[in-house]
Amino acid sequence: MIVVVDYGIGNLRSAQKALQHLGAYAVLTADPDAIGAADAVVLPGVGSFGRCMESLRSAGLEEPTRRAIDRAVPFLGICVGMQMLYAGSEESPGVAGMGVLDGVVRRLAPGVKRPQMQWNRLMRTEKIVGAVTQRDMFKGADMLRGMEPDPWMYFVHSYAPPADGPYVVATCDYGGPVAAAVVRDRLWATQFHPEKSGRNGLGLLANFLAS
Amino acid sequence: MELYPAIDLRNGRCVRLIQGNYDRETKYDGDPVEVALSFADAGAGWIHVVDLDGARSGQASNRDVVGAIAAGVSPVRVQVGGGVRDEAAALALFDQGVARVVLGTAAVQDPELVFALAGRHPIAVGIDARDGIAAVAGWTHSGTVSVADLLARYRDGGVDAVIVTDIGRDGMLSGPDLDGLETCLAATDTTVIASGGVARLEDLANLARLESGGHRLGGAIVGKAIHEKLFSVEEAVAACAPSA
Repeated sequence: MIVVVDYGIGNLRSAQKALQHLGAYAVLTADPDAIGAADAVVLPGVGSFGRCMESLRSAGLEEPTRRAIDRAVPFLGICVGMQMLYAGSEESPGVAGMGVLDGVVRRLAPGVKRPQMQWNRLMRTEKIVGAVTQRDMFKGADMLRGMEPDPWMYFVHSYAPPADGPYVVATCDYGGPVAAAVVRDRLWATQFHPEKSGRNGLGLLANFLAS
Repeated sequence: MELYPAIDLRNGRCVRLIQGNYDRETKYDGDPVEVALSFADAGAGWIHVVDLDGARSGQASNRDVVGAIAAGVSPVRVQVGGGVRDEAAALALFDQGVARVVLGTAAVQDPELVFALAGRHPIAVGIDARDGIAAVAGWTHSGTVSVADLLARYRDGGVDAVIVTDIGRDGMLSGPDLDGLETCLAATDTTVIASGGVARLEDLANLARLESGGHRLGGAIVGKAIHEKLFSVEEAVAACAPSA
């Protein structure tokens, strides 16, 4: 059972629909026990970082989500769901993130239109940053397996985690490199929306289901 | 038989033309992405989008809207035509999440482009005909190539589908040309998608039943009837089912 965490912040149906389209048994739930029993967990997120973190906490779902990550169950954070893994965000000063990944989410570069709301090309970090470890490259390859080298995905966001972070496996270019995807063991996270990204997005979700 | 609800774009808005006449346009309210989502939510597996600005001028002016539609309805698929006159334009559409690109003018005037793309990428050939002769450039110009010639030309070319539109019936709600479509089904093994004239659910049922030599239609594109709300998309999807 794939659990899509429902913490009361609006349209989460598309993530569930995309997983169901791939034949997965995906449920939208706010039940901590379901999260505890899940074979895989998806944490979506749209809107502001602060509002999402507060909703997650007031729904009593921060701890169950954290425990799922600690249990190393396959985990996918999407959009603000990715951002919430970090320590905090410039968007919502004073609101702590889950702190699962180091670093602070920052606003997109000045001079670009915000939000980035468009299809954009992913660049795997082995092409950009020579310091990425073999292990990270391998894990990144899992997430993007079966796709062309630079797959296009759909982005809607104004903030993003640091592009030079240790687990970033892909970036996109939007006024400079922008973190697009992160992999740390079985913890995956994407700034873009795989459930909106057509065939490439479905491919990523299929890779997630196979992980 | 798949239902392909249609959205025609002009300056980023949903419109419909009558018989392809750019001066006989009806504008419809509604953000194209919202309209497409309503079709997807109603059970359509594909959306057919035409960039009318592109079709006439060869420029892809509605690209961002197309990308937003493709993302919005995902995993429902989008096929797009209008103004694709070179490989870069086709590839740019695939990068916007489009699942199939329709080549109309190019199918008549630039077969090499079609053959260069088909087989490597999902391509449909759009055959838009007035009295059996294919028209080009947003239907503003008529040529000398017949529908039969085009079907024969692309029969073994690796094209995913052939879309046959009767311009005289497009936007007229006069019913589809069943005889003409039956002839097309007999003339090619490629998937044939019908377009133009659907006004009643019975038209869809008739199209779904159409058959020649074991070959049935792969899809039906419906525009005006849906935008005029003559029937719902849910009803149309049901009418396209083979047992209907």
